[in-house]
Amino acid sequence: MMQLIWSGLFVGSFYALVALGYSMVYGIIQLLNFAHGDIYMLGAFIGFALLAAVGGIPASMSIVALLAVMLIAMVGTGMFGLVLERVAYKPLRNSSRLAALITAVGASFAIEYGMSLLAGPNPEVYPVQLSGESFTVLGARISPQQIILMVVALLLMGGLTYYVQRTRSGRAMRAIAMDPRACLYMGVNVDKVISLTFFIGSALAGAAGVMAGAYYGSITFLMGFIIGLKAFTAAVIGGIGSIPGAMLGGLTLGLLESFGAYFLGGQWRDVFTFGVLILLLTFRPTGLLGERVTERV
Amino acid sequence: MKLHVRLVAAAAAVGLVGAALAGCGSSGGSSSSGDNITLGMVTPLTGSSAAIGPYMQNGAQLAINEINAKGGVLGKQLKLDVQDGACDAKSATTAANKLVSDKVAISVGGYCSGATLPTLPIFNNADIPMIIPAANSDELVQQKLPLVFLINGTGTQQANAAMKFIKKEGVKNVALMDDNTSYSVNIADLTEKLLKADSSGPKMAIHEHVTAGESDYSSNVNSVVKANPDFVYWTGYYQEGGLIIKQLRQAGYTGKVMVADGSVDAKLIAIAGNDNAQGVFATMTQTPDTIPGSEDWIARYKKAFNADPGPYSTQAYDAVRVAAEGMTNAKSTDGKKVATALEAIDGMTLFSGPLKFTADHTLSAGGFLILVVNGDKFDVQDQLQD
Amino acid sequence: MSTESPQSPKRSKRSKPAKDSALASGPYAEVDPPSTWAVAAETEYDKQRAPKVSYRQDSLATRLLNNRQLGWVGFAVAVIAPLIFVSTFAVGVMTNAMIFVMLAAGLNIVVGYCGLLDLGYAAFYAIGAYTSGVLATKLGWPILLTIPAVVVGAILAALIIGGPTLRLRSDYLAIVTLGFGEIVRITANNLTPITGGPSGIYGIPSFSIGPLDFNPVKNPHTFYYLVLVVVALAVLATSRLGRGRLGRAWRFVREDEDAAEAMGIRTYQTKMAAYIAGAIIGGLAGVLWGMKQTAVSPTDFTFLYSALILMAVVLGGMGSVPGIVIGAIVISALPDLMTGIGAWRYFIFGVLLIVAMVFRPQGVWPYKARERPGTRRGGPTEGPYDESSGTSAEVTA
Repeated sequence: MMQLIWSGLFVGSFYALVALGYSMVYGIIQLLNFAHGDIYMLGAFIGFALLAAVGGIPASMSIVALLAVMLIAMVGTGMFGLVLERVAYKPLRNSSRLAALITAVGASFAIEYGMSLLAGPNPEVYPVQLSGESFTVLGARISPQQIILMVVALLLMGGLTYYVQRTRSGRAMRAIAMDPRACLYMGVNVDKVISLTFFIGSALAGAAGVMAGAYYGSITFLMGFIIGLKAFTAAVIGGIGSIPGAMLGGLTLGLLESFGAYFLGGQWRDVFTFGVLILLLTFRPTGLLGERVTERV
Repeated sequence: MKLHVRLVAAAAAVGLVGAALAGCGSSGGSSSSGDNITLGMVTPLTGSSAAIGPYMQNGAQLAINEINAKGGVLGKQLKLDVQDGACDAKSATTAANKLVSDKVAISVGGYCSGATLPTLPIFNNADIPMIIPAANSDELVQQKLPLVFLINGTGTQQANAAMKFIKKEGVKNVALMDDNTSYSVNIADLTEKLLKADSSGPKMAIHEHVTAGESDYSSNVNSVVKANPDFVYWTGYYQEGGLIIKQLRQAGYTGKVMVADGSVDAKLIAIAGNDNAQGVFATMTQTPDTIPGSEDWIARYKKAFNADPGPYSTQAYDAVRVAAEGMTNAKSTDGKKVATALEAIDGMTLFSGPLKFTADHTLSAGGFLILVVNGDKFDVQDQLQD
Repeated sequence: MSTESPQSPKRSKRSKPAKDSALASGPYAEVDPPSTWAVAAETEYDKQRAPKVSYRQDSLATRLLNNRQLGWVGFAVAVIAPLIFVSTFAVGVMTNAMIFVMLAAGLNIVVGYCGLLDLGYAAFYAIGAYTSGVLATKLGWPILLTIPAVVVGAILAALIIGGPTLRLRSDYLAIVTLGFGEIVRITANNLTPITGGPSGIYGIPSFSIGPLDFNPVKNPHTFYYLVLVVVALAVLATSRLGRGRLGRAWRFVREDEDAAEAMGIRTYQTKMAAYIAGAIIGGLAGVLWGMKQTAVSPTDFTFLYSALILMAVVLGGMGSVPGIVIGAIVISALPDLMTGIGAWRYFIFGVLLIVAMVFRPQGVWPYKARERPGTRRGGPTEGPYDESSGTSAEVTA
């Protein structure tokens, strides 16, 4: 039982990291960024390229090296997110929201198969991986690398919460999510804040990508697709647009999957999670922490 | 004014489409005409199985190069026409139609049973024999189409080999894991049937299905470990297989692990981690790695494509050779005559052993043996000859 | 061919907030068009909006596009095309494209007319294909007799999933439909005794009438014409539906659900009707697909496929029948035609989608409201009603 909870929470923290970017972007420009999962993939590949280029990192230094690589990959995917927003989403900001949804799917295809052309369709093995002996706590097998990743994920989420709640640009972000027009009147540089949101969201996904590479050890050009769907699901469970909601949604999804797979068998796991999701939305139409807004008329 | 800008942009977009289509037209295959005989191959180049396509393509191309160097077939040079089947039915039927329109003589492709099944009537109707190298579901031959041949072992043969080895190992509780795709489910289900039929032998502890393409299989692994098996048989592909082996070991599983032929790739060992992969068994047909004296073949492959051979490279290579043999014996490229010639082949040496088709057009000897991971490669553990 | 309106639309529009539905609205749904935000935004805004007022002074092109006879022209092209491109491959690509047109037409009712974002439309397609395939292969029903069962199955599925969820906000509806699509696909994958599991079912028969044998493999041309007739009827039906009473109710619900409710439209039932109509068309397209492929398997009905159908609708122009026909043909045929170039095909496809949407955000052939009073034949019109309704249609389309 503890084992199920622990694995659920661990997987959930990955979902949460990716879901955060999804939810932030949605909160601020109401776009379902389907390319977000592919930014996660991109982060994993940037990390892979860096580690492969450096080569020969002693085991004792692997955590430091991975953290450094993670930061560089975050900047890289952040910049990519910026460019993507400029090229594919900004021109459509005044158009139908579905138009931007289509460019998002288009961008997703282009990133996936662009990477397949660049790096080949074969899975790549991460040159530096976290390792350690597992130990048992309260009946759950826990490994040190899992703890490291959970801590990193928590730090990133904590940092984000602090940033959004306490800083000036964080306040601008929340303000735009509430009322972009009023923000303009108040002299907020809306474009800049939207860019910043994309940067942060993409950087978080990139970080999750490197973490996945370092923990699971294998990456492919399609690895972002499923996690993108899961992040979307997690964001909706929590209440899309809500940052604590995304975190809670990610963890909830992880737990649902863990228990669903155990009690119903792996093949019915996704049926179970989606079934719970549909029921949840039937009774709580805006997710766990979503604001009770009425549809705009 | 402004509209003109848009019109230009739209025109540019249309131009791009046109260019893309023109590009595809030129890179697509050409028909069998004059001095060439074209062999067709439907194989995944996009989608979740995109990694397999190039292995098959290269294997077939290598055989074609070698045959052409010796003067080709019936005095003509062979050519390969590869179309993307993406492992989904729509792409595969479109690709098959393209090959039919390109007038290929024989199809040497086919991967993913779900995508290959709907292509059977298309090739059959055009009188094009299919030598399928890499789809193994029994449903492919159940229709008893006269022009369809399978040259990799069927799921039944592989499950039998697995069962034989499981009993030999004397284990008690077997966990089966598949990735919910047809190839994988087919082997796992057949093995499950064998386990259940044999009441005195090992029991089936659990049959777990995972979703291909994910990274975290801990929830599936939890269920498996909970069922307390001493033998795990994974019937999917190497990417998920590597992750599952790694995560099984992390979860504290210490028993034996065996994988099916789709997982026999050096990447499995790399992904699982060298330590975790040691001693992992595999059900597999003969490969260049396991046949003494075939280092030469691997060297030729590496030289031609600057890459290592992978799953189904050898089967694709053999498919082309069988196709060439069939046409040579039939002295024709006519589909029905080639099929008759294929049925008559007896003892041609393939990687899987001497070739003789059964009445079902499958290999008479499945040729499955058991490999074991030793260091960073697979060695032969057991020929299963008794 | 200037399309600048003689009277500057800018001023009047500024004072009129765009009426958007949640689905169709831009990111700043609750505000005026952003031209009011800053001077810098003004030029950007002009660039975006200027061409959209082109209906005011109908150019030759616009009049051509609005021509009712155009459907017949399109149909004639579709009839002649397989006589020019005779190869099995070309006819196969065209048959796929036609079936995809039918799917897009069905989804167009849900998304285009009624404004419900559906990311799991392939579920109905799967239900149609599997219901007819299973009845035909396992129970030996003639394929035509399975059609009523498919219709019933599609309606039931629409009621089950639409019932509790159609009250949801659009993005939540999106994930629920996505989840439903996945549930259907995974169930088909798992229920091996009925659905054949991951390999699916094969050997789905076709039928023949007298000398006409609609065998998709032996007579691809004959089968193509069968598909063409069915699809043309379906497209015609959706087009009629869209223009009728129900269609106006759908558009009203899409534009402003509360106002529609206030005007006495039962919005829930109206949405349900759209959902059911879409489901039936999707299910019937599934029957055609099963016959064409002679086999169905779960990989045909992934989330990606639902996304592609949605792309066809948006790319063509939501709510516009000629638009979605073109969109569907492009989305279906483009990757098919590039089948020989491997990974490049989805790369090029993705880039082209971005380019197309950035330059033509309203779709290739956007929907133009026909209910504009007195604007059918061009010429500037006055009055606040017209202004807002025109804007609204433009924005949503």
